[in-house]
Amino acid sequence: MVSVIEKKNRKFKEIDYYQNNELTNYFLLPFRFQKINSNKEILVNEVGDFLLVPIGTAEKIILKKITKSENETLYFDLISSFFISEEAIPPLLNVLEARYRTKKSFLDQFTALHIFVISLRCEHTCHYCQVSRVTENKDQFDMSLYNIDEGIKIMMKSPNPHVTMEFQGGEALLAFNNIKYAVLKAKEEALLNEKHITFVICTNLAPLTDDMLPFIKEHNIMISSSLDGPAFIHNQNRHRPQRNSYEVTIEGLKKCRENLGEDNISALLTTTNLSLDYPGEIVDEYVQQGFRNIFLRPISPYGFATYNEKKNKYQTEKFLAFYKAAFEKIIDYNIQGYYIREDYATVILKKILTPFPVGYVDLQSPAGMINNVIVFNYDGKIYASDEARMLAEMNDFTFQLGTLGKSTYNDIFYGEKAMKISESWANESLAGCSECAFQPYCGADPVLNYATQGNMYGYRPTSVFCQKNMEIIRYLFDLMEDKSIEKLFRSWITGHSE
Amino acid sequence: MKIILKNDSQLHLSINEDLYNENVLFKCFYWYGSDYNIDIDKNKKQYVVIITSKSSTKIDHDHLLLKIKQDLIDFKLRDIVTKETKNIRELLTAKAFAHFQTDENPLTEISDPVGFDPTKF
Amino acid sequence: MILKTKGSPYDIDTPIIGRVTRIPENQEYEIFISEDLFTKNWYKFKAVLSTIKIISSLEIPIIHSIKNLEHLNEGDIVIINTDGIVNTIYRANSNHNFLLFTERCNSNCLMCSQPPKDRDDTEYFFNQYSKAIPLIPKNCYEIGITGGEPTLLGNRFLKLLNQLKLELPETELHCLTNGRSFAWESVAQKLGEIDNKRLMLAIPLYADVYHIHDYIVQAKDAFNQTIQGIYNLAKYGQRIEIRIVLHKQTIPRLAKLAKFIYKNLPFVEHIAFMGLEHEGYTSFNIDKLWIDPIEYQQELTEAVTYLSDFGMNVSIYNAQLCTLPDNLWKYSRKSISDWKNIYFEECNKCDLLAQCGGMFASGTKKHSNFIKAISIS
Repeated sequence: MVSVIEKKNRKFKEIDYYQNNELTNYFLLPFRFQKINSNKEILVNEVGDFLLVPIGTAEKIILKKITKSENETLYFDLISSFFISEEAIPPLLNVLEARYRTKKSFLDQFTALHIFVISLRCEHTCHYCQVSRVTENKDQFDMSLYNIDEGIKIMMKSPNPHVTMEFQGGEALLAFNNIKYAVLKAKEEALLNEKHITFVICTNLAPLTDDMLPFIKEHNIMISSSLDGPAFIHNQNRHRPQRNSYEVTIEGLKKCRENLGEDNISALLTTTNLSLDYPGEIVDEYVQQGFRNIFLRPISPYGFATYNEKKNKYQTEKFLAFYKAAFEKIIDYNIQGYYIREDYATVILKKILTPFPVGYVDLQSPAGMINNVIVFNYDGKIYASDEARMLAEMNDFTFQLGTLGKSTYNDIFYGEKAMKISESWANESLAGCSECAFQPYCGADPVLNYATQGNMYGYRPTSVFCQKNMEIIRYLFDLMEDKSIEKLFRSWITGHSE
Repeated sequence: MKIILKNDSQLHLSINEDLYNENVLFKCFYWYGSDYNIDIDKNKKQYVVIITSKSSTKIDHDHLLLKIKQDLIDFKLRDIVTKETKNIRELLTAKAFAHFQTDENPLTEISDPVGFDPTKF
Repeated sequence: MILKTKGSPYDIDTPIIGRVTRIPENQEYEIFISEDLFTKNWYKFKAVLSTIKIISSLEIPIIHSIKNLEHLNEGDIVIINTDGIVNTIYRANSNHNFLLFTERCNSNCLMCSQPPKDRDDTEYFFNQYSKAIPLIPKNCYEIGITGGEPTLLGNRFLKLLNQLKLELPETELHCLTNGRSFAWESVAQKLGEIDNKRLMLAIPLYADVYHIHDYIVQAKDAFNQTIQGIYNLAKYGQRIEIRIVLHKQTIPRLAKLAKFIYKNLPFVEHIAFMGLEHEGYTSFNIDKLWIDPIEYQQELTEAVTYLSDFGMNVSIYNAQLCTLPDNLWKYSRKSISDWKNIYFEECNKCDLLAQCGGMFASGTKKHSNFIKAISIS
């Protein structure tokens, strides 16, 4: 279908010649819109590209009131970013397809994170902990070697060439011998199954002794610890018989840094009602301890009274006020030259600013449970997510998917329960989410919906998940009106800035 | 849109279906469900929307009506986009996850004056 | 820089390609350069280039009465044409060799430095390079492939690339192309089959919207074809560089182009922002093109830092350091081919002379008004 052009003349033509001048009107491509603040609204296309525009622009675009002559820059911005097209089928449709496929490609490899609740024993008594605390001496609350073996078998069946084995508790280090067994066994199996495996131990660091360090170092195990803030907050949150959880944590962090290296240790924050009053102090503490990242996690939803809409809404509002106050402090530190990023925002910013897939367990669609994470409890029971296990502690087994040694891989990952959960795990098809502008940046959480609202599908208007995420995402866009903040955010994603 | 009833705890509206279709109405009033109880009935070509406050505070009608009008317009706009882009969306999603390659060669000119056919490589 | 000379031919009925030598004992090379009288040694060679006048045929291919052969060094590869013209194909002592596959082109860029010729030279060049490629030194580090538009050779383009892979497996190949032919997937697929990891395709992209790009390259649908081509090339594992020439038409949406590249073509290996070269069509279109580099510092900074922030590999070519903000100096490369590189009087006073790329020889015609020595103190 290619012809030879007879004597094409090489006379230079003007720019008009190269425009589509027969066009009477443009075609819309799929996009959503949302107010960001009193002046601006945001347009978001199918692959998460956005344009921040004056309020009323979406209306003009949709009613075909934008013209090349009067709104030239906007018009071409819309074409370039795939919001409108001059042809019914855009000529670069396959670029858009490739981008969409890329955005969802975090699903390609399926389950990566395998949580092994290696022991339920713990000597802290953190008041928000949903794990039923059992004092040190009862060995029937450790995961048996049999269950460890069976869990590893399932892990090896994951199609993902990279798997992560994460030890949680209780207090995981109390079962260090079992961890050693599990790590060595898993490494053997990984070799046979041609998988790359990384290890994480979640610990409050209290039981950490010097003789544990060589093993941890040898196998390059990451340590994930908790630092709730300065001593008065941390100790208040995390009761320990000797009342020195903070000191023990700091000591432990120091040891880990010295022996394992900066990159192998991270700290998480769990916010409680007490924390909510001290955002600045908490950020200061993290900076003082030399952290380069801080994860402002909300109060565990299982601290939410189930089915109490008003209380949940109020708690979320308080958390959001805390989040923003802490965030402002974090930005300040960055502006003054101390690099520290907020991890939750960074996940969202990756989705907003880069074309790459982001598979973050708590904020993805389809949801992280099963697709990205699976939990093996100390007693051999299998759960769709960590929160699902916590529901079981309250005697609700809706999200219990099977038993190690009895259930097959298919039973667990493709069984009836998984199928049922899958009906509500994609925000593309949920009421309220399907037309939300923030859909590409957000996720779905059937377990949280079930726990707070009584059903997996959830009801967006009173959903704490929706309330929290919509406001955080809106807040980030609001901040990014300032170009220097947007540049700072880039450095949070890549670790450097030019 | 007509106001049928207005008091401290309730607002009743009558909306012509030609102006805002059922999808638009339901999607719009879905979001009011946290603060209000919503009932939607139909009477010939008119939708009747019954809004009842869930709290004991008096309804600020001016504020509420303004918000409803703005929201109805927004959801109508979204409905326009959804309808107009339905096919492209389906095409996009289907092709994004298709395992087979369907891309055809361009139908546009590429030759120089001498003559060049890229299908003849 | 001289790449061409002429003399009078005897016994040349088909072009002869070979390496030149002035050493009569050199049996390795094919063409003898003589500034003296005939000797029997001449018969050992395929052809002779002589500065002296020869009166009658000696029954070997000869070009005589050549004014000057000083530009030719030992080992240079030349083509002797039937009309007596001798072109240099490869310079043994240079790091900037390129193979001009054709002067045909299906674009007509406003700033084209090698204006196209609409006659079919593809057979001529194909023959020339088929014979020349085996003669190129195996330790040649890098070779450029240019035109016109090299892919217009069709199947011969692939044949020459195959030959280059075979003969010069250690040589980096930098092929300049508008990328449009690769919009036809089978072309990209066939290139993929050659599987040369040392091949990089350098493709110009001048805007994030079709009409500006098409206008600059003076070809309808070029933008869509180029993007499609880049996608197909990526699909078949090819290494890609994007080139952007900085002038009045590309500057207004430069930052948006940078964003477009990152979002849609994040797989490209390198992005080069290039200062304008005053050759070919540029003078004719100067009003549409010229903008003093001092005036686009902001746009360039925004585009370069955006891409660099996201980890993309960025360079600035053909820029003088005094016209770049200092935070962009680290991206500036000394990129102008040795044979067209000059510096000004003012430059001799500059502390950064050694790092600076200087100007094109054509820069004497038009250059920034702000060329000024920098002192680092």
